[in-house]
Amino acid sequence: MTIFLQATFEGLSLGSVYSLVAIGLVLVYKATDVLSFAHPALVVVGAGIISALAVDRGVPFWLAFIIGIVATGLIGLIVERAFLRPMVGEPVFSVAILTIGIDILLRTVLNNWIGLNPRYLGDPFPSFGNFGSFQITGVTFKYLELAALFTAIVIISLLTVFFKKSKYGVAMMATSHDQEAALAQGINVGRIFGLVWLIAGILGGFAGFFITGGFNTLTQASFISALRALPAVVIGGLDSIPGAVVGSLIIGLTQGYVAYYQINLENIIGFSLGSGFSLIAPYLIMFFILLIKPDGLFGREEVERV
Amino acid sequence: MRKRPDLYTNYKSESAIFSTVTQKIWFFVLISLSIFFPLYLSNYWILLVTTSLLIAIASWGLNIVSGMAGQINLAHGVFVGIGAYTSAVIGGVATSSVIGFELDMIIWLPISGIVAALVGIIISPVSARLKGLNLGLVTLAIVFIGSHFFSNFKSITGGAGLGRKAAKLKFLGVDLDSGLTFGNIILEKNLIIYYFSLFLCVLLGIGAKNLTRTKIGRAFSAIRDRDIAAEALGINLFKYKMYAFALSSFYAGISGSLLFIISGGIEPGTFSLLYSITFIAIVIIGGVGTVLGPLYGAFFFTMLPGIIQNVLHLVGAADSGFFLNPGEIERIVFGFFIIFFLVVEPRGIWGIWFRLRNYFKAWPFSY
Repeated sequence: MTIFLQATFEGLSLGSVYSLVAIGLVLVYKATDVLSFAHPALVVVGAGIISALAVDRGVPFWLAFIIGIVATGLIGLIVERAFLRPMVGEPVFSVAILTIGIDILLRTVLNNWIGLNPRYLGDPFPSFGNFGSFQITGVTFKYLELAALFTAIVIISLLTVFFKKSKYGVAMMATSHDQEAALAQGINVGRIFGLVWLIAGILGGFAGFFITGGFNTLTQASFISALRALPAVVIGGLDSIPGAVVGSLIIGLTQGYVAYYQINLENIIGFSLGSGFSLIAPYLIMFFILLIKPDGLFGREEVERV
Repeated sequence: MRKRPDLYTNYKSESAIFSTVTQKIWFFVLISLSIFFPLYLSNYWILLVTTSLLIAIASWGLNIVSGMAGQINLAHGVFVGIGAYTSAVIGGVATSSVIGFELDMIIWLPISGIVAALVGIIISPVSARLKGLNLGLVTLAIVFIGSHFFSNFKSITGGAGLGRKAAKLKFLGVDLDSGLTFGNIILEKNLIIYYFSLFLCVLLGIGAKNLTRTKIGRAFSAIRDRDIAAEALGINLFKYKMYAFALSSFYAGISGSLLFIISGGIEPGTFSLLYSITFIAIVIIGGVGTVLGPLYGAFFFTMLPGIIQNVLHLVGAADSGFFLNPGEIERIVFGFFIIFFLVVEPRGIWGIWFRLRNYFKAWPFSY
C-alpha cells in the first residue's frame, strides 16, 4: 500500500509537470495549427537560463526564476514572430518539421553550455527537511514534487479564469474556433498568435524548472522528459485543454506505476522488459489509445470535405 | 520545341526515366566516372562518397513514404537500424555476448531489407487508421520503442554503450574483408564497399524513379494529394499505405546493412531521434518528392562537416576559442538549413537547380 501511494504521488506530480508543457502545446496547436516539436527545447532552455543566472552569476534564486520564466516566454514569442509567422497557411507537416529545425538550433546552443556535467538550478528545495523530502507513514514526499503539483493546480485554475473572463482569453478562444471570423470581429489574430506562444513559453519555463530542479539536475538528456508531454497531448486529443491535463496525468501515473511495479509485472508476464521501461511506457499507451480513438480521448473528430 | 523543359507532347515522353537525350548521356558519363574515378581517390574521399551513396538509398526510402505517399514518418532511422542489426546477426561473427551466423552477403543483404520491410508492414495499419500529425507522433513513439529494444536486447545488439561488430563482407564464398587482387590491381575493402554501394544506389535509384511512373507510384501521389479523393477513385488506402511503408523500410534496411560495415561497429545509441530527423532533413534539403533531391541532400549532409572544417580554417577560427565546436556548428547549420529551405525553397536543392536550369534554358526570356 505504501508503494502504491508513493507511486501515485510521484505519478501525479510528474503528470502535473507534463500538463504544464502539454497545455502550452495544445494552446499553440489550437490557435495556430502548429504542433511544436520545439517546445521541449524551450522547456530546457528556460531551466538553462535559471541555472546560468542563479548558479553561474550568483543572482538570488527567486529573481533568476522569474527572469528565466519570462525569458522563456519571450523566446517563444521571438520564435513565433521570426520563424512561424512566414509559414502561416503552409501544410501542418512542413511547419511541424520547421519546429524540429528550431529545436535543433536551440538545443545545440544549450547543450554546448551544459557540457558533460549535470547542472544544478540553485533552488532551495533540496535544503528543506531531510534532503528536500519528508515522510508520512513511510511515503516520501519531496517538496519539489509538492510544489509542482501545487503550481500546476494554481496555473490551470488561473488559465481557466483567463479564458472565461478576460478579453484576450475570449479572443484566443474565438481565434482557435475560426481565424477568419475572429479577424472579421476585429480581433488582432497576429497578436493572439504571439500571446499564445508567450503563454506557452511561460508554462514551459515553469515545467522546465520542475523537471530539472532539485536533485533532478539539468543534463543534455533532460529534454527527453519534456518530450513526453507529446504523448500526453495526443492521448487527450490535440485540441483539448482538459484532454491535455487528463492525458498528462495518465502519462505521469503510468510512468510512476511502471517504475515501481515493473519487477512484479515481469514476474507475471515471464520475460524482462528491459531497464528504463517506465520511460517508454507512455509511448506504448499513446500507441494503443490512438489505435482505438484516432483523435484522442477528448479530441474533436475532424470532419473532412473533399 | 526541344528547348522547353516542361513541354511534353505525349504521355510516353513525360513518363520516361530520362526525358532527354542529354540526361541519358550525362547519366552514363556520371556512371563511368564513378566507376573509374575512385581508383585515383584517397581513402577519405572514397569513404565519404560511399556514405553519401548509402545515405541516399535510405533517404529515397523516406522519400517514398513521405515525399511520394505523403505519410509522415519520424522513425526512418529505426528501420535503418533494423537493417543494420539484421545484417550483423546473419553475417556477423558470434561472440560470447552476441549471436551471429557468418553467412554470405548474398543472403544477408536482401534479408536485411526484407526484415525491415516486414516491420514496416506491421506498422503500416497504424498509418491507415491515423493521418497527419497523429501519425507523426505514433512514429515518434516508434523511435523510442525502437531505441529501447536496441539497447535492451543484448544478444542481438550488444547493449547500450557497447554495441557489436557489423557483418563480415563475404560475397559468394570470397572473403572480401582483406581486399581482392586481380592481377596487378588491388581492390581494398573500402573500394569494394564503394562498388557495392554504387551498384545498389544506381539500381535502387532507377527503381525509385521507375516507381513514380507505375500504378503504385500514381496511387501514392493520389493519396498524398488528397486521401479521401484517392479512396473515392477506388484506391485501396490500406493496401497502398502498406506498400509505401514496406518499400520505404526495404530501402532503409538495405542502406543500414551496408552503412555500418564502413565504420565496422554498430552502437544502439546511434539510432536516436536525431538520427531519424537527419533523414527528414536530408529529404527536405534535397527536395521532397523528387528522385534526385535525396541524392543531393545525402551528398550535402555527408560533405557538410568537411565544408565547415574548411571554412573554419579559411577564416582562422578553427583553433581560436569560438564557443561552438565543429560538430555543434554542423548541427546549427543543419537546423538552419531545415528552416531556410522550408521557408524559402520548399523544393530544396533540387528546386534551386530546377529553377537555374530553366532560367538558362529560356534565357533571355523569362519563360
